[in-house]
Amino acid sequence: MVNDPIHQFRIHNIFGPWNIFGYDIAFTNSNLFMGIIVLVITAFLLLSASKKSLVPGRLQSVGEMWYGMVHNMVDNVLGEEGAAFFPLVFSLFSFVLVANMLGMFPYFFTVTSHVIVTASLALFVVGLVVVVGLWKHGLGWFKLFVPSGVPIVILPFISLIEVISFLSRPISLGLRLFGNMLAGHIVLKVFAGFVVSLVALGLGGIIGSLAPLFMAVALTALEFLVAFLQAFVFAILTCVYLNDALHTHH
Amino acid sequence: MARSVDPKAGKSETDEKFGDISARLHDLDSRLAAERKQTAKAEKPPVQYQGATDYSKGYRLVSEFVAGVLVGALVGYGLDYVFHTLPLFLIIFLLAGFGAGILNMSRAANRTPPTAEELAKMPKPNDDEDEDK
Repeated sequence: MVNDPIHQFRIHNIFGPWNIFGYDIAFTNSNLFMGIIVLVITAFLLLSASKKSLVPGRLQSVGEMWYGMVHNMVDNVLGEEGAAFFPLVFSLFSFVLVANMLGMFPYFFTVTSHVIVTASLALFVVGLVVVVGLWKHGLGWFKLFVPSGVPIVILPFISLIEVISFLSRPISLGLRLFGNMLAGHIVLKVFAGFVVSLVALGLGGIIGSLAPLFMAVALTALEFLVAFLQAFVFAILTCVYLNDALHTHH
Repeated sequence: MARSVDPKAGKSETDEKFGDISARLHDLDSRLAAERKQTAKAEKPPVQYQGATDYSKGYRLVSEFVAGVLVGALVGYGLDYVFHTLPLFLIIFLLAGFGAGILNMSRAANRTPPTAEELAKMPKPNDDEDEDK
């Protein structure tokens, strides 16, 4: 079917599956686009930093804004201790941002529209939070789950809720990015599909198709905003969670 | 400024004059540094992540809540699966998940304002210091 809105998310092998340790591992279109993302980020940042002029040109200015924005974010949320995590946050932000933006090109594959990719990123972040927390505070880090000043009677209940709240972090972090990208692309495709189906009906359909066409254009603009915002939210929440690990106040 | 320099130059030698200029340079340096610090402080608040639109804020709150309930249900179902007590833990953890979801949501909603307030408070003491100088 031509207008199948799910078709764009299909994964197919580019280089046939190889049997490695009993698993079928193939080089898919998702892998291809991950490689392209890394290439785009590296090439862009190298290009924008190549001139090193005192008064930045357009390209250098974008590169500096990109770097400066993430740097400010890490600085504001994590403070001076967080400088060690800047490369991580910058890489995460850049990867998600470029993945989302490349996904906006027609016929391009959106890497972040697959829950396995976003969930891996989110689980990695939360796993890092646990490791950093235990490394910084030792077992005292588990006080995070035992808030002070709570009556002893309801303390087990509160702790249970705190633990579930902590466990829900990777889910909300990963699902949010995945859901936004998936839903946005499906809605775009559905509205674009309306235009095609209506035009096929004849003159009345062509007039009627103007409404979904307008919607598709407006939604494209919204999707660009969402693509940026979700990358930003992912990075800021990474910072916020790392902040919990670095400075446990409870 | 020119007037204040002239009488000093008249009664002293060139070395003294240089000393005067270097003192003024030093003064200028410190004033520039103070002003740069001030502008840096003043520029900080807009850099805050307040730019997120209402849409993304709302979506964030919803996803925090849903994640809490989902994790509660999953943990409960997992425990039931292990101990073969199907409805018991599912009910308990689902309810706890609701609690966790609401806790998540209230935290997500409260997370931004304090940092903005703290940043707004920050420049004030510095301003006072500058005036005292």
